Amino acid sequence: MPESKIIVKNLTHTYNKGLAYETHAVDDVSFEVAEGEFCSIVGHTGSGKSTLVQHLNGLLKPTSGSVTVGGVDVTAKGASVIDVRRKTGMVFQYPEYQLFEETVYLDVAFGPKNLGIAEDEIEVRVREALGLVHLDYDEFAQRSPFELSGGQKRMAAIAGVLAMRPEVLILDEPTAGLDPKSHEDVLALIVDIRRQTGCTVLLVSHNMDDVAALSDRVFVMAAGRIVRAGTPEEVFADEEFMKGIGLGVPRARAFASLLARKGLVLPAAERILTRGRLLDALGALTS
Amino acid sequence: MIRDITIGQYYPGYSSVHKLDTRLKILMVLAYMAAIFVASDFVGYVIVLIGLLCVVGVSKVPGRFILRGLKPIFIIIAFTFVLNLFMTKGDVFVTLGPLQVTSQGVYTACYMALRIIFLIIGASMLTFTTKPVKLTDGIESLLKPFVRFGMPAHELAMMMTIALRFIPTLLEETDKIMKAQQARGADFETGNIFRRAKALIPIFIPLIVGAFRMAGDLAMAMEARCYRGGEGRTKMHEFRFGLRDAKAIVWFAVWFGLIVCERIFDLQSMLVAWLS
Repeated sequence: MPESKIIVKNLTHTYNKGLAYETHAVDDVSFEVAEGEFCSIVGHTGSGKSTLVQHLNGLLKPTSGSVTVGGVDVTAKGASVIDVRRKTGMVFQYPEYQLFEETVYLDVAFGPKNLGIAEDEIEVRVREALGLVHLDYDEFAQRSPFELSGGQKRMAAIAGVLAMRPEVLILDEPTAGLDPKSHEDVLALIVDIRRQTGCTVLLVSHNMDDVAALSDRVFVMAAGRIVRAGTPEEVFADEEFMKGIGLGVPRARAFASLLARKGLVLPAAERILTRGRLLDALGALTS
Repeated sequence: MIRDITIGQYYPGYSSVHKLDTRLKILMVLAYMAAIFVASDFVGYVIVLIGLLCVVGVSKVPGRFILRGLKPIFIIIAFTFVLNLFMTKGDVFVTLGPLQVTSQGVYTACYMALRIIFLIIGASMLTFTTKPVKLTDGIESLLKPFVRFGMPAHELAMMMTIALRFIPTLLEETDKIMKAQQARGADFETGNIFRRAKALIPIFIPLIVGAFRMAGDLAMAMEARCYRGGEGRTKMHEFRFGLRDAKAIVWFAVWFGLIVCERIFDLQSMLVAWLS
């Protein structure tokens, strides 16, 4: 096995250290993500997911522990910020609120420009990034980002991160607040980007359906710790536990369990995590 | 860093100072400020200090918290001190190159620096012990008599309340946007002043856009709950003037009277004459 793309070791982040109300937002977390792997982090609000992922590109410095991304120690004192940011692209929650330039082109070019990339190369990257998010270059590049629709704004903002050609792409709730169509578009986009660029993806999400459908592995966080880790099948096997920490399981899995309680036990019910597999199982039953 | 500024902050507590009628507190702070200018000598300042210490003691606001509030204005105090030290004419005390320190200069410098410190701490005691919402309610109540002269008292108070309420929200929003732009390689820390100012554009534009969005949402939410200005509006917490407030007035009047007497009868010279 090649060396892991992301190595997090004993990471702890304490807010308000030394005060009476100090809190461990992230508490002794260790995990590794392999090159090209698709991992998800789930956890209810305030479980430390966002704090954790902000360490991966050096936006937050850990109280203790270390983070290595693509061989660069992000937490080292002398770590080159640009080097770190070049490797890790981070799409924040509601990324459309960071749009600021006069045109979509300039906004998408903001990242590459900060990396010190030459002007003609920037144009190539902007074309590529807008292509990845399915915004037509000729139609959108010269428009103001503020006159786009909600879904298009989000796509433009994601393009702004993709234009930096990150090796690791972190997405913090990329589908929050989108209509179902845009939701599907963003998910399809993530799959697409991964196929085309082969980047490592870390998805933070509340949506168990998305997590089950997309991830190779899932990390479950609660109170700043990783309490479960494994393939979606492994993690969602313990339905009671997942409900207990306020997360639940994918709808397909919940549906299969409901059927089981009503007396219809589907074969290999614990593997039914997506709509596709549920339909297959039901199909096999009726044929 | 922004969190370190305690000036204007509220320090939660249940002391008598906290419970005092807000309108009374505002008026007393105004009178206190006047009193500082009435007190003109050493003995006067001792009386001011004793009064201030009594209020601080009763309020149970920790001294460290109060002193931290002085930090942001330290430069102003130091500037006033140094300026007065060297610029006051009089009997030369020490000569430092082209600069002369006079004994009057030392006196004035200490005097002015203390005056600023007293002013800031006194005004801070109001905000330390009064919730921002109560404070604006108090201001509204005090401005009410001027409504007939066209003063929009309720609107002013409401604007202040909203402004205060949005400070933490906007700070949080700024933090979020800064991180998002830093993640795209933005650099706010290096370069000369022009580069740094330019680097702030990617923060300010989304921040202003966001502020307008939030303001619009808030206005909508207020209208949805039938907000239509101050006319006919009742309060959840009515101000009630009680025994505690009456006692506070008596104590304050005694203290204020002492300062005025000190000034009129020049107790300091009498004290000096008696001692010598």
